[in-house]
This record gives sequence, structure tokens and C-alpha cells, in this order.
Amino acid sequence: MAKILGIDLGTTNSAVAVTEGGEPRILENSEGNRTTPSIAALSKTNERLVGLLAKRQAITNPKNTIFSMKRLIGRKFTDPEVQKDKAWLTYDIQASSSGGIEIKMGDPSISSGQGKWYTPEEISAFVLAKLKADAEAKLGEKVEEAVITVPAYFDDSQRQATKNAGEIAGFKVRRIINEPTAAALAYGLNKQKNEQIVVYDFGGGTFDISVLEVGDDIVEVKATGGDTHLGGDDFDKRIQEYLVSEYKKQEGIDISKDPLALQRLKEAVERAKHELSTAAETEINLPYISSDASGPKHFLMKLTRAKLESLVKDYIDRSIELTRETVTAPPPKGAGFELKDIDEVILVGGQTRMPAMVEAVKNLFGKEPHKGINPDEVVAIGAAVQAGILQGDVKDILLLDVTPLTLSIETLGAVATPMILKNTTVPTAKTQIFSTAADSQTSVEIHVLQGERPIAADNKTLARFILDGILPAPRGLPQIEVTFDIDANGILNVRAIDKATGKSQSVKIEASTSLSKEEVERLKKEAVEHAAEDVKKRELVETRNQAESGIYLAEKALRDAGDKLNEDIKKSVNEKIENLKRVKDGDDIEAIKSAIADLSAEIQKIGQSFYTKDTKDSKDEPETKPDQ
Amino acid sequence: MADEEKDKKEENQKSGEEKIGETAEEKLSKCEKQRDEYLAGWQRAKADFLNYKKDEIKRLEEVARYGTEDLMEELITVLDNFDLGLTALEKAGPVEKGIYMIRSQIEDILKKRGLSRIPIKIGEQFNPAIAEAIAETESAEPTGTVLEEIEVGYRLHDKIIRPARIKISKGQK
Repeated sequence: MAKILGIDLGTTNSAVAVTEGGEPRILENSEGNRTTPSIAALSKTNERLVGLLAKRQAITNPKNTIFSMKRLIGRKFTDPEVQKDKAWLTYDIQASSSGGIEIKMGDPSISSGQGKWYTPEEISAFVLAKLKADAEAKLGEKVEEAVITVPAYFDDSQRQATKNAGEIAGFKVRRIINEPTAAALAYGLNKQKNEQIVVYDFGGGTFDISVLEVGDDIVEVKATGGDTHLGGDDFDKRIQEYLVSEYKKQEGIDISKDPLALQRLKEAVERAKHELSTAAETEINLPYISSDASGPKHFLMKLTRAKLESLVKDYIDRSIELTRETVTAPPPKGAGFELKDIDEVILVGGQTRMPAMVEAVKNLFGKEPHKGINPDEVVAIGAAVQAGILQGDVKDILLLDVTPLTLSIETLGAVATPMILKNTTVPTAKTQIFSTAADSQTSVEIHVLQGERPIAADNKTLARFILDGILPAPRGLPQIEVTFDIDANGILNVRAIDKATGKSQSVKIEASTSLSKEEVERLKKEAVEHAAEDVKKRELVETRNQAESGIYLAEKALRDAGDKLNEDIKKSVNEKIENLKRVKDGDDIEAIKSAIADLSAEIQKIGQSFYTKDTKDSKDEPETKPDQ
Repeated sequence: MADEEKDKKEENQKSGEEKIGETAEEKLSKCEKQRDEYLAGWQRAKADFLNYKKDEIKRLEEVARYGTEDLMEELITVLDNFDLGLTALEKAGPVEKGIYMIRSQIEDILKKRGLSRIPIKIGEQFNPAIAEAIAETESAEPTGTVLEEIEVGYRLHDKIIRPARIKISKGQK
């Protein structure tokens, strides 16, 4: 089956993903990176460069390094947005004969070279062609088709132009999908029924907010908003400016004119920003950043998360205001929803790793946003999910289910011992050997449970059956092999065999996986709610089990020792046994533990008394004291 | 009336039989189709799994090879600063040999783990595959000639983890 690429063609960076075996994954480019700068250039030696290589010569070749193509693609030259952008773009643009845009890359007057006026589609196609070539190299096969994402606010002309760019690059563009829709797909939210979803996309250079409505596998864009000139790069710039001015105040040196110092500072700022997502404070340490008459100068400054947040607070506030507006304003300006109507919030874009931003979004909607998937990659991942559906990677008959809840068996002390963990893909089987809990036990009860709680009684009973005819033996000796086998339809077969006699018993449980969604959610929620007390309960049960086996061992040791044992030791061991028996059924774990410790210390005396006797008999030099 | 009913019944039976006949054939061809589909699906799943295993081994190798990338990136800035310190010391007077020995010790350790310096020659043409031009000045050299290596670049095995930062010529006015 031919693969279809999912491509997030971004304003500053692009990413490519593919679905293989039903799982989407990002493909690294030829430089080994997971994102590729959306930049093309014609170098001074008349060579076409794309991606990272184009970026590396951007500073010294600004006229022929073309970036932010997404801001121009599919627009008219007279578009006010284009006119605004024209002011700060470093390359030349002009109106084409059809009223569109043309970009000058290279010198068109040299007839032999590649210098000419290009359309935005052609420039984007250079980026797409590199993505295609790199993906093919990575996958080791030709790829002809792609799903490409665009912002939700793109009009028909912009979408068509993006599609054309894909085609120029040699793709058959199977579909153009909205970026927020891709993000929702990546999180699997397209399966929800009648939900309102907000996608908060804070990229490097743009901020997009989209309100979606999903139902019956259809995703509808209700409103879009944002700011096409607000992004994470603004944050970096703000921090860098602050540090440069602080340094000037402290040392009286202006490093803003020194390219190396600035380069080092820029990297340090990026690193500091990332660190402050997890740490409360970081140090920017750049020795020998500059020098003056008195000698070398160093840059050493602490940056706290609070300071960082105060530096960019107005940007975050603005994004939140725009979000509120887009969600609540009446159509056509906004979606006309109330904030509380929003069911899900998705974060996209690297800058959304910043805790203050997550917090601000969370406060606005009063709910935790989705952020499990790498926010730089989530759109490409979503595009690959769509591509996976189109390539028909997974046929219906091959869709494999997972067990929604853990399947367990009850063991000594009413503990639920897991056999098949939740989220295991079925069909699957697991076999484990169990034994008896008491001496001469001739039957065992197999109690099959479903649920996440460690105590058997807190879970749902699926079945119970008895395996009897076990030959009388000391506890722990018989081997009972229990097998849990779930087939692809979720039918669970539980079988128990006594390995000694070959006697077996089994039960078939239909529909072990077909719980209602609500039931699954309730059981999972209960497990989380009771997690702490369950741990305690389990510890108590385990301690009791220890107590039981301690008593058993002690009694056995006493019996084995018989008359040969010193009466004093016998008496004291019996006392400790009685003491443990008294406390073991109580709820005081510590009391049981100390009684166990007392008993095990006492039992050792039995052995010691024999060994010291032996050594005395043979060598007459006791090495250990009896009470040790 | 009764005859009509009888006829109808017969007719029904007849068409019913035909249906059964058709159904059996249909059933067989449906089964065959399903069998082919299932077999293909099974083969594909098995192939996917085997390929996945191979890919996973490759990915693990990559992880082992490039897993230290973050650490290396941070360590090379320390190495940069060490060099800046050395240069400053050299300006002030002769530097104790031991300092150079410590520096080469650090570099050796990193080298053993796959780190290598990207060689840049002054006077060569700027190559964006290994270097990043962060400054440009007028000079007698042709446009794009490397004038100065401002910051050393490094490779981890085959991957450039930091390009060399260079100053290039703008040519003459």
C-alpha cells in the first residue's frame, strides 16, 4: 500500500509525518531534525538552498532568502495584509500579471542563472519538494501523495494555491485540511459527539485561535481569530532585549552590535526559556562575552520564571483576550459560544510549553487543556492520521480492540492479581502458576475480576469456578496453571489446570471488553479516586499475608524441632505466635509488622540453638551468640 | 383461491430454492473473498510487525548513537568558553601547559563518543551545509569567501549538532 505523507506546511517551520501500522510518526529530515525551516534561497553562488541550509545563509543573503511564504500564498498583491508585510519582508515582491504576487529570488537579469520572479506556490514547492525527498530517503520508497494542512481561515484561493504548490513539488495532494482539525484528529477528538473544541495555536510567528464543532465524524470550523504577527519569536526578542539592556546597565557595555555576542546570547535565551518551563530559576552564563580596557567581561545573570512571565505577560494577556473574543463574540466575528460551552481545549505550537500560558488558558476555560502530543508536531501527526485513513492502512476487519480494564484473579487475602493489564491489544493470552494457601487444600476457587482496584471486592466479578481434586499437599506445593485468553472479539477464556493431576476446569466469558463507555470511565475514575487508600489496603493485606506465612513457618518449625527444643525457646516462640495472631486481623499495619519482626527474630533462635549445639559438639567454639 | 395459494406457495418455494442455491454459491464466493482478504490482512499484519521490529532496532541504534546529543550540545558551549578563556590568558602572557592538557583531555573524551570538529579553512567558499554565516564585511576576497571562523562547529557522528559560525566576504564596494 502506497504511503501518504501528512505535511504541516508552517509559516516558519514544517513537519512531516506518516502512518505506519496504524500509528502516525514524525519523519526526520536529511539533517536529522524533526522540523524543517520553511525557507528557500538562491545562494550567492547561484545554488538553490532549502530548509536549514537556506537559514544558515539568511543573515548574509537577505534579499534572496525567501521565508514566510504562507503569508503571501494565494493572496492578491493589493491585499492589505500583503501590503503590511511588504514593509518588513527583506526580499522584493511585485504584482504578477494576474494580480497575484511574484517574489524576486536571484537576479532575473542574468539569463543563465536561476534568478527570476517566482510565484509563492513555486517557492513553497521548493520546501515541499525537500520534505518529499527527505521523507522518501527516510522511508526508502517513493511517496506520491500527501495531505497538507492550512490555517482554518485560509480562503479558497489560498487553499488552491497550497494545493498547487504540492502538485508542483510532485505530489498528488489528496486533501487540504485545517490545522486545528488536524490537531483534533491527532488527539482522536473527531470521534466525539457534539463537542465544542478550541485550538489555541501559539507558533513561532503567528497566533491562531480556532473554534471547532465536532459531531458524527464531521469537524466544522465555527470561528477563527488570532494575530498573524504574534508568536514565540516575540518572546525571545523581548527576553534578549531585556538582557542586553540589563547588561548595559551593569557593565556599561552594549553587546547588541557584536554578532558573536548576540548569537551566543540568542542561544542562551532559547535554552533559558526551555529550562524555565520546568525550573523556577536559571542562570545565563556566558564567560568572555566582551572586553574593555580593563580586560575580559563576562555575562552572568539569573533569570527567574517570574521575571520571564512578567516580561511577556502582555503577550499572553493579549492572546487570552483574543481567545475570549473568538469564542464568545457573536458570529461572524466569533463563534457566539459561552466559555463554559467549550468541551475540549488543545494546545499547539512550541510556545505553549510555557507553564504560565497553559495556566492562563486553563483559567479561561476552567479545564485542563490537551497537551500530551509534542505541540510542534501535533498538526503533522494529525495530517498523518488523515493520510492513514485515506491510505486505508487499517481495514475494518483488522481493527484490533484493547481491553478497557485490567483482568485479574483473586489471590490470598482478597487481593486482585492482574493477569491482563488494561489497554493490552487483543487477541492475547497470559499464563501464570498459582498455588494453594493452606496445607492439604484440595480445591481452589478461581475468581475472575475486572477493574483497576487492588482489592478484589472493589472490582467487578466476571466469573467464579472451582477446580477440585487437587492432591493433598503442603501449601504452596501444588501448581495450578491459570490461563487468561482473550480472542479478537473480546471473548475471555479462563482455564485452570492442576499440573500434577492434569485436571482442568474452564469458563468462557462473553463480551469481556464490551463495557459501556460510561462504565469504563466510572471504573477508571474510581480507581484514581481511591488510589491512596487502595495502596494502604493492599499493604495491609500483604502484611497480613506475611503474618500468616510467618505463623505457618513458626508452627512448622516448632513441630519439626519437636522435643529436642529447649522449653524456654518453645514458650517464647509460642508467645510471639499468639501475639501475632492477636494483632494480624486488626488494621494497625505497624503493629503487625513489629509482631512479624519479633516472631522472625524468635524463630531464628530455634535454628541457632541447634547449630550452636552442633558446633559445640564438633568444634566446641561457638561463633554466634544465641541471642544474636 | 386455494389453488392460487398453493401456486403462490410453490412459487415461493421455487424462488426460495433458487435463492438457497444462489446463496450457497454466493456464500462460497463470499467466503473465498473473505478468506483472501483475511489472509492478505494477516500477511500484511505479520509483514508490518517484522518491518516494525527492524525499524525499531534501527531506531534504537540511532537513539544509542545520538542519545547524548543534548549533553554534547551543552558541553561544547563549555568547550567554547574554555577556548575564550585560553585566548584571554594567552593575551595576558604565557599559559601554563597543564591548562592545555586539561582542554585536550575534555576534547578527547568527547571525541571518543563521536564528537568531531568541523574543519573550516579561511579563504574557502562558504558552504551552508557545514557553516552558518553570521556576519559579512567588505574585503578584497571574492564574495562568499570565509574570512574568519567565529565559533567552531561540531559533528556528532554524521549529524551536525552545531554549524561553524563564520564571517564571510561581501566583496569590494
